Amino acid sequence: MSCCELGLFFKRFCFKLLRFAFKSSKKGEMAASNEINLNDCKMVVPLNTWVLISNFKLAYNILRRPDGTFNRHLAEFLDRRVPANANPVGGVFSFDFLIDRGTGLLSRVYRPATGEEPQLNIVDLEKPVTADVVPVIIFFHGGSFAHSSANSAIYDHLCRILVGNCKAVVVSVNYRRAPENRYPCAYDDGWTALKWVNSRSWLKSRKDSKVHIYLAGDSSGGNIVHHVALRAVESGIDVLGNILLNPMFGGQERTESEKRLDGKYFVTLRDRDWYWRAFLPEGTDRDHPACNPFGPNGRSLEGIKFPKSLVVVAGLDLIQDWQLAYVEGLKKAGQEVKLLYLEQATIGFYLLPNNDHFHVVMDEISKFVSSDC
Amino acid sequence: MKRDHNHLQPNSDPSYSLCGSSSTGKAKLWEEEAAEQDCGMDEDLAVLGYKVKTSDMVEVAQKLEQLDEIMCSVQDDGISHLAFETVHYNPSDMSTYLESMLSELIPPTFDPFGPSGTTAVAAPLTGALDDSFLGTAESSTLTTLDFESNNRKHKKSGKQIFEESSCSDYDLKAIPGKAIYSQSSQTQIHDSSSTSTHNNFKSEKRLKSTSGSHSDIFSPPPPASYGIPTDSIRPVVLVDSQENGIRLVHALMACAEGVQQNNLNLAEALVRQIGFLAISQAGAMRKVATYFAEALARRIYRLYPQNPLDHSLSDVLHIHFYEACPYLKFAHFTANQAILEAFEGKKRVHVIDFSMNQGMQWPALMQALALRAGGPPAFRLTGIGPPSHDNSDHLQEVGWKLAQLAETIHVEFEYRGFVANSLADLDASMLDLRPSEVEAVAVNSVFELHKLLARPGGIDKVFSVVEQMKPEIVTIVEQEANHNGPVFLDRFTESLHYYSTLFDSLEGSASGQDKVMSEVYLGKQICNVVACEGVDRTERHESSTQWRNRLVSAGFSPVHLGSNAFKQAGMLLALFAGGDGYGVEESSGCLMLGWHKRPLITTSAWKAANYSSSPPPLPTEFRRVD
Repeated sequence: MSCCELGLFFKRFCFKLLRFAFKSSKKGEMAASNEINLNDCKMVVPLNTWVLISNFKLAYNILRRPDGTFNRHLAEFLDRRVPANANPVGGVFSFDFLIDRGTGLLSRVYRPATGEEPQLNIVDLEKPVTADVVPVIIFFHGGSFAHSSANSAIYDHLCRILVGNCKAVVVSVNYRRAPENRYPCAYDDGWTALKWVNSRSWLKSRKDSKVHIYLAGDSSGGNIVHHVALRAVESGIDVLGNILLNPMFGGQERTESEKRLDGKYFVTLRDRDWYWRAFLPEGTDRDHPACNPFGPNGRSLEGIKFPKSLVVVAGLDLIQDWQLAYVEGLKKAGQEVKLLYLEQATIGFYLLPNNDHFHVVMDEISKFVSSDC
Repeated sequence: MKRDHNHLQPNSDPSYSLCGSSSTGKAKLWEEEAAEQDCGMDEDLAVLGYKVKTSDMVEVAQKLEQLDEIMCSVQDDGISHLAFETVHYNPSDMSTYLESMLSELIPPTFDPFGPSGTTAVAAPLTGALDDSFLGTAESSTLTTLDFESNNRKHKKSGKQIFEESSCSDYDLKAIPGKAIYSQSSQTQIHDSSSTSTHNNFKSEKRLKSTSGSHSDIFSPPPPASYGIPTDSIRPVVLVDSQENGIRLVHALMACAEGVQQNNLNLAEALVRQIGFLAISQAGAMRKVATYFAEALARRIYRLYPQNPLDHSLSDVLHIHFYEACPYLKFAHFTANQAILEAFEGKKRVHVIDFSMNQGMQWPALMQALALRAGGPPAFRLTGIGPPSHDNSDHLQEVGWKLAQLAETIHVEFEYRGFVANSLADLDASMLDLRPSEVEAVAVNSVFELHKLLARPGGIDKVFSVVEQMKPEIVTIVEQEANHNGPVFLDRFTESLHYYSTLFDSLEGSASGQDKVMSEVYLGKQICNVVACEGVDRTERHESSTQWRNRLVSAGFSPVHLGSNAFKQAGMLLALFAGGDGYGVEESSGCLMLGWHKRPLITTSAWKAANYSSSPPPLPTEFRRVD
């Protein structure tokens, strides 16, 4: 047995003792400070939500390497995925579309089934929408710019719900991820998708022969929504509204919420820092406008025709101060914004329909996209 | 607390049942299956891809807490070892997955305060240092080209292949499959070493079998035993749909509908129209449309394709297909990975290959076995293939080449070739099987099993013969598609999607003769799916879910392919796949290769549910002291 193996053996021996000690302490003895956090956390979400998010947290911890690289193979292996399905399930069918061959940009399109036929013909996939007004929601999945895909089960599920909820067509963009693809790749892909959606004749609402576009996203997806909307402003493509769910923003400063909630509800400052380092251009810091749009390097949105925004902030999300600052920034620039602050919500509450916050948010989103008739 | 918000739940709207239609028997069966599989699973998590029993939730939460505790008490570097040293399996089964993560950190049998306290010191030594406990991927790594240096070659502008650590676990060394086969004509092999005891070479055996007959193409649909209830998933990926492309697809579908309704005049008119429309197309769409149009024409005019195919031509096509795109390489690679792992610790191994062809799968496995820690096992290969028309002993020739390779890499090698029209003609007694304690068996089938679905009882016979072989592992690669439904129009639609995607992938990644030949190779499949019926329709592809149902019913249980195989397959694609659209996905322990997220082929591994092999002996230095 070499020294190395011996060392490893003892390390594992210690872990076993730790596990044993941990088990004993669970029987009502003095708890470690860590345990208090876990218990807090468990009290504010249903158990299966806690299991789901903790499982992600565990996996993500393994995937991030201290040197800033990412275990992409393992990430792809662990991510639970679902194929598109041209057969309607729950009134929704989906298909993938290769939007840009050069970058391999794929999007998954979700449409409500009309209920006439159980099985769709391929020619029906791009059949023109029939209603007077059909909202088209371009969705950017979360994952802190590094994780998940458009075909991740959690996001496929969420998009299907959005279709039913909003009577909308949803286009989920499989944007390029960090650290392999840094800023501005994700934004470029979002922009490409926006142009593509805008030019689809089969997505045009009958009322005005235009595509009624909304941008939506959670976590990094929320961040992408802002930046794609910004690009749209100069281009003449009309975006009717932005929906940001727990959007990912930040800055160099350590805010009060970050210090107070660090490590308490699934997320740590350390992991937030890692993801920004992975996404932002090398050599920049968190005051880069991608991260901190209303920070020292941001640009003013005053006087520009920016879409109205719905911003959902979870009260137990450690980056809420940045999200609230974003809302303030929009208000100060005279932009229309509605804040939905959910005091007892944690990150990821919208992944499962087992809590009140989920339903409140779905109601708000539905109202948000239907108010432009 | 769940609020009653029916309109938000995707599957609670009363007008849409989960299966999309409540009128067919197919849907009802699906519902029953779904109910069976439910067995106390948390529904919320199930939809998101995780199988956790409601009754296990608390325990799973505890495991997560324990792992979290361990993570928190370890500094930066300690966590990464979980990724490097561990092979992850089936993350959907959270309870088992977490348990295996926990035991990766601690030997499960070790209890410092347990009754066997005195032997506790010896036990962890065994546990900690035994290869299988450590779960390193080293012993089971299939070798391919050195990834590090190729990494730099394949870097694209603006995009980098992620940096791997310097850990040498995943150094790749030799190219799969190419080692002994060149494109030039096969050389004559002179037997000068027939007395060598290292290369025991038996001559081919010819099996009696009934020849296929050309039955009436419009015979009534096959009995229910051919079809298994289909799952209702239809993955589709659309690429570059232009106006003409859409019209072409419309015409193809309308023509197929005409055939379905036996309105042959309409179908005939449309088939001619398709010809014109196809010319105006470019690239993959034109070729696919042309093949489908030709197949439709054959069906309409009853011009049945010659069956079976001239073997030497199909050999050539097969080799080109192997070269042109990564599908066969992926199939061989992933199957070999599973076989390698199953053969760990075995001294004598026997691979029975149902899909021998030119034996391209085996050089890589033999090389990996040769490089195995502890030395290679004795390797026996039984290759099964169809007869050739010119009476040449093609299986023999293949065996000779492999024998030569075995000689150079110092692997004890034995070979036998069997010629059979159908795998169903095989009996276990023909194979000279040795006791399983002496010789471990692997059965391998790449794109062969679906052909058995053309005759009743064929697949069942083969499954029971496979069970008699007592294999350590059965590796199966099949197309991920349902081209065997009872309704012609459905089969047409499915295969149109499927082959369009396949052709599109060729467009980007292949060129020259390889590409052309691959298109012909696939074109023959298209023709078979569309124009043939009854026993002649052998391209009866079914989805992995359908195969799983068949295999489980026949008494097999899945052997999950893990993150190790997944990663290696991903690296293979980076090396050999021309296009960026290829991707590997894991689902229920199987690995799928797809193009732009549309799964196209699936590798799965199985063993007989009631068979357990004898465990490998403990390393002699660390025998238990009890």
